[in-house]
Amino acid sequence: MTLFSIARKNIKRNFYNYFLYFASMIFSIVIFFTFVSLQYNDQVAEASTMKISTAFKGASIVLIIFVGIFIWYSNAFFTRRRKKEVALYSLLGVRKRQIGKMLFYENFVMGLFALIIGVVLGTLLSKFFVMLLMKMMGFAVDVAFMISGKAILETVIVFAIIILITSFEGYRLIYRFKLIDLFHAEKKGESAPKASVFAALLAIIFLAAGYFISTQTLTSKLWLSNILMTALIILASVTLGTFLLFRSLTIYMIKLSKKNRSQYYKGINIIGTSQLLYRIKGNARILTIIALLSAVTLCAIGTSYSMFYNAKQLSNAMNPFSYAYISQGKPLDQKVHGIINHQSDHQPASLYSTKVIKQEINIDWDKAPNGYFMDRKRSTFLSNSAFNQLAKTLGQKGSLHLKGDAAVALDNQYSKTFSPHYRGKTLDIKTNDGREKLHFVGFKDYNVINSNLAGFPVVVSDQLFQKLVRSGQVQTIKQWQVKNDTDSAELTKRLASILPKKAEFTDFYRPYKDMMAGNGMLMFLGAFLGLVFLLATGSIIYFKQLTEAAADKERYDILKKIGVTKKEIRHSIAKQMLFIFSMPLGIGILHSAFALSALSDLMGRNILAPVLISMGVYTVIYIMYYFLTVNSYFKLVTQGK
Amino acid sequence: MKAMLQAQHVKKVFGQKGNVFTALDDIDLEIKEGEFVGVMGPSGSGKTTLLNILSTIDQPTAGSIFIDGSRIDNLKEDQLSSFRRNKLGFIFQDYNLLDTLTIEENIVLPLALAKVSAKEIDRRVKNIAHKIGIEEILAKFPYQVSGGQKQRTAASRAIIAGPSLIFADEPTGALDSKSATALLQSLSQLNEREHATIMMVTHDAFAASFCSRVLFIKDGAMFTELVKGQTSRKDYFQKILDVLSALGGGMDDLI
Repeated sequence: MTLFSIARKNIKRNFYNYFLYFASMIFSIVIFFTFVSLQYNDQVAEASTMKISTAFKGASIVLIIFVGIFIWYSNAFFTRRRKKEVALYSLLGVRKRQIGKMLFYENFVMGLFALIIGVVLGTLLSKFFVMLLMKMMGFAVDVAFMISGKAILETVIVFAIIILITSFEGYRLIYRFKLIDLFHAEKKGESAPKASVFAALLAIIFLAAGYFISTQTLTSKLWLSNILMTALIILASVTLGTFLLFRSLTIYMIKLSKKNRSQYYKGINIIGTSQLLYRIKGNARILTIIALLSAVTLCAIGTSYSMFYNAKQLSNAMNPFSYAYISQGKPLDQKVHGIINHQSDHQPASLYSTKVIKQEINIDWDKAPNGYFMDRKRSTFLSNSAFNQLAKTLGQKGSLHLKGDAAVALDNQYSKTFSPHYRGKTLDIKTNDGREKLHFVGFKDYNVINSNLAGFPVVVSDQLFQKLVRSGQVQTIKQWQVKNDTDSAELTKRLASILPKKAEFTDFYRPYKDMMAGNGMLMFLGAFLGLVFLLATGSIIYFKQLTEAAADKERYDILKKIGVTKKEIRHSIAKQMLFIFSMPLGIGILHSAFALSALSDLMGRNILAPVLISMGVYTVIYIMYYFLTVNSYFKLVTQGK
Repeated sequence: MKAMLQAQHVKKVFGQKGNVFTALDDIDLEIKEGEFVGVMGPSGSGKTTLLNILSTIDQPTAGSIFIDGSRIDNLKEDQLSSFRRNKLGFIFQDYNLLDTLTIEENIVLPLALAKVSAKEIDRRVKNIAHKIGIEEILAKFPYQVSGGQKQRTAASRAIIAGPSLIFADEPTGALDSKSATALLQSLSQLNEREHATIMMVTHDAFAASFCSRVLFIKDGAMFTELVKGQTSRKDYFQKILDVLSALGGGMDDLI
């Protein structure tokens, strides 16, 4: 009988014990392989206008690190459960070297099988994922089933390395411990943790500092001095604060709850509370990791979903009309009219003509950093009454009544952080009697002319507009609103082909499509990574709690002997787990809320709905892990006699 | 005096068809209120099996058991749990203290489970700690105290809720002779002053000599019993040794 065959039999007989480890390995491989095959998929590459490989490469590096840590962790969990078995071999006189080899082979064989199964499953799944990605990017493409040699090669290389490393860890297991340690896998008599008031205060200070900086606007001094440094400071102080929070503040809280004797001495509370206190020290690190991972995941999902969620709205704000161009005379206008009216899919279609004056302007307002007016050197002036008419057509509220030299800016990308504060600003313009000063009385955060055509649109009073008309050349902007403009590839193409360059044809469709493709991919990446992170996060808590359950079994046996019912035990476990699960989730949500509100400021948009949806989905899956853990924990401590 | 525990025709068989082992065969016994009964017998005689069955931790194959007037061998698991909690106290050889709780918390556990008020709990803990002599160690954790102190803690936990019956399974098994004597003295004081009913399984004749009556079991059946009556503890000890030598087999680890 060779060592190899012992190892093989070991796996075969204890398959159930190995299952968890095996499953998490397969899971990691499937995820990674699917991801890599997406990266090498020709159809995906063709469909995306963005540089797809950069986004995917970055994401796949994150994934490798993550998968590596995850497999390492489940391997550690798995070997801990087998210490006694290994000790028994050693006791029976099997040589350390042989045991080591056996463990090495075992892990290696499992890894090999997991790799094969993972790649097969991944191949089947990748078609589904390609379809999903295409759909999110807004393409209707028939997805062909394909196997990517490159993807297989890359997966095999990455996991061969990971499996080799973990197998080597298994080999080292027997050398790392003394026989006596192996028999007593869990050491007894851990001292009770002390609550340090100083550390608890420090936790609050660090968190408050991190939060405070993150709520400062980007234009504040704190950020402007050194953006990267400030971001790092926030990260460090929040990380440290979180760790100290779990390390001390929670201990403090539990101790405080112990002080309330009548509550503490009520039924099974005494067991749950003391158990939590006993474990919290060892759990501090893992709770910190879970909290931070949750925060990162929520930020990733929240951000990408917000982008995706807002794509249509954003496109609409940028180009409120389906088509816009500067009129180049009657014959061409009629041709356009003919083409549009010929398309039955896009009826009804309506045309709006607006007289405007275009002028080069010179803005030197300070507090408008980062070249805010770079592409707005050209201003488009329109009259108060023209604006009111267009705004009404677009369903925007609030008509204007401007007098004299009063003006209103139209800024659909208005952001508190970056945009100038228009009120009180002035602008020099040319009229028929020389130069004149415009006084801004406010702004509107929407546009009534497609952005690329308009440059920097300014609404002036009707009287002033008449003056401008006399000084310069009046142009007529023709804007069309057609039905189904989100699906107007053909019509857009035809119009673009007949209109000359100086007509400055702008359409809703193409920027919208580009944005959908880019944001769709971002959304896909965010959701994909988020899901992987979430599953891994849940599994880490699950493994950790189950390891503890195995160690706690004795304690629950005692309780059963002195007359604690199973119902009470289950209740107590559910309570303890609730604490362990809810703390990091709560902190994670809080962290991400601060980060996302900073993001919302930055984007100048309200992203509450998509963020709440992301958090909701995350929480629901997380709660499922909670129930799974409570169930398994309960079964583990109550099974047997 | 009323009978605190009654067992009739108790039988316990281990194993399945073809490979059965009868651990207990038709045992009848009765323990009256306020008695301190010892159970002795050679290794494998079934004394621990008997204790487990009488204390509801294990179920008999046949026969009936009454504790404090209620039949317990046909109760459901959760009913048994509450019965154990309300009526019985346990002292085990390996203490079975929770290492996450302080000595005090270990002692109050049964009261907390019974939802006694915190005030009443504090009063009773003080009372018992004083009686058993563990007042100074109340705030310590089990790993910080000696084996004797741990066992006295376990004894305090067993009696704090005022159980009808206390079961002790080799309580002195892991103790040095001095701690063992102290514990046994505590138990017999409890028995005499508080009229606690105690059933103790032991293979130590010295420990058994503290009892008011000792039952001897051999091969799963009742062998004989020895009542202390008015004899001195020393003479009683000698009588127990005599019975044990008559029992023979596996008892060479007497003292």
